[in-house]
Amino acid sequence: MKKIGLNTLLKKNLSKGQLLGFSIANLIGLTVILSGILFYCDSRHHRQTTDKYFSDDYLVVSKEVKGINLNPVAFTEEEIDDISSQPWVKKLGEFTPAEYSVSASINMGGKGMSSYLFFESVPDEFFDVVPRDWNFDPENKFVPIVINKDYLALYNFGFALPQGLPQLSEEMIGSVPLKLSINGKNGTLEMFDANVVGFSSRLNTIAVPQDFMNWANNKFSGDKQPEISRLIIKVDRLNSNNYEKYLADHGLEIAGDKEGDSKVSEFLGLVSGVVAAIGLVIALLALFILLLSIFLLLQKSRPMLRNLILLGYSPSQPAKYYISLVLKINAIITLLSVGFTFVCRLIWHNTLISLGLGDGNVLFMIGAALLYFIIITLINIIVIRRHLFSIWKTN
Amino acid sequence: MEDSSQILDSRIWMAPPFTFNKGCRICIQAESGGGKSSLLSFIYGNRDDYQGEIFFDKENIRNLNISQWCDIRRNSIALLPQDMGLFPELTTIENIQLKNRLTNYKSTVEIDEMLNLLGILEKKHVPTRKMSIGQQQRVAIVRSLCQPFDFLFLDEPVSHLDETNNIIVARLVEREASLKNSGIISTSVGNPLLLDNAEFINL
Repeated sequence: MKKIGLNTLLKKNLSKGQLLGFSIANLIGLTVILSGILFYCDSRHHRQTTDKYFSDDYLVVSKEVKGINLNPVAFTEEEIDDISSQPWVKKLGEFTPAEYSVSASINMGGKGMSSYLFFESVPDEFFDVVPRDWNFDPENKFVPIVINKDYLALYNFGFALPQGLPQLSEEMIGSVPLKLSINGKNGTLEMFDANVVGFSSRLNTIAVPQDFMNWANNKFSGDKQPEISRLIIKVDRLNSNNYEKYLADHGLEIAGDKEGDSKVSEFLGLVSGVVAAIGLVIALLALFILLLSIFLLLQKSRPMLRNLILLGYSPSQPAKYYISLVLKINAIITLLSVGFTFVCRLIWHNTLISLGLGDGNVLFMIGAALLYFIIITLINIIVIRRHLFSIWKTN
Repeated sequence: MEDSSQILDSRIWMAPPFTFNKGCRICIQAESGGGKSSLLSFIYGNRDDYQGEIFFDKENIRNLNISQWCDIRRNSIALLPQDMGLFPELTTIENIQLKNRLTNYKSTVEIDEMLNLLGILEKKHVPTRKMSIGQQQRVAIVRSLCQPFDFLFLDEPVSHLDETNNIIVARLVEREASLKNSGIISTSVGNPLLLDNAEFINL
């Protein structure tokens, strides 16, 4: 009962226009900040299926081949250690080449076809796609294979048409049974069943599971240790500026041209940075508007508040009303902003999905909203309390 | 309230130390700008720009904190400021209840009785901004009585009332003060509250 009279009086002295102005400014500011954050999260989030625009995260590095090399160009252990220790290297994996020759044959619509192949393997963690059953059991004699997406494109658009062969989808290729014959350097010959089980856009090779490669190299080439001629490196984006110079200095080459791809990610990062920065500026302005509104409101209500204090009201009693008011306003603004941010996401969602991005974690954005709510409410509370206690004495 | 620089020259500072005792009936008379309201503000704790010392019993009031002052203003000292301190947007009863809800001192019946006595019961639900100064003055008097008090300070309480109303107000405050043997200290610039047995101090 005690509070009703006081709250009626305080409510009558509120300036609804000011509060509305603050609310709108704050709503816009917070929505822009949160959209920036969510866009950033979305644009950094690589979905599983493809990583086309971010393949520069990984570099495939080999030594330059000059003239005709009869001895294969290979990395020494020291060289590998030196590369591992570079600040831009997050992780380094070795391509294990096959120490045996492979030929594969297929039977397609009555037309038999056979071709020499080559195999390489890299540790599973460097795969962009890890197909199911990506392992090898010598009992089964079945070898799963991952080939580069570009190979299929080369076949479909470069090879199949002129040769009068059918164009094939990824699914079709996967269902074609292959026969492998492996010819060891020690003269052994063995047949295996095989299937293309996946397509990689990162690995520019024909890849088999590491355990098959280890087993087969051991069986078909005896003691000879395979020489490492290609490396796959996960690049630390923060230090990625230095790697080009290092590679040039050491006569190393990057497979493919990844320049353009890195530009896309830089651009997306820049866009979200700019959006978040603009949001921050708007939110800061909104904060100042709020502080100004509180000052104006309290200043305008000063005679009233002073009369209340003369009646025996403690400054903390009207303070409670104002604090609960800004608490409510800020809570509503925060919730609405989060809602509007999800609406804004619709603008970029499809575009990012088509780039293989999007659907990032929203918790970071919601966390930022909560943090903003807490900070702005704390500032409000401090300002209100200080101002009300300053009214206590007016000499 | 007078400007500080003016009251520095006023005669209140020349007065000898004096004491208000419980049960006193005092009327302080001085010309306008004489520092009467300032004195009441000092005693009520909303100004402290004075020299000298003010004691409640043995307690120097400069040492009181905010919650002690709030307690004093709810239970020990009632003040009717010269500007009345009403909230113009609130009705008579809302203004009064704003104080009474803080103290829970008077029942609605008692409040109505006082309003009736002062002839403003029919203004109970009228916003005070729509009332004459004289009517507002009576609302403020009723409000100041809605708390227990040892001393009642009335700053020019009847400056806009005729003699009949003056006497009614005097009887009402006398009745309320006698409940707890409280003291009444009023000020005036020539239209004093007509209390029986009031001691006049001229500054």
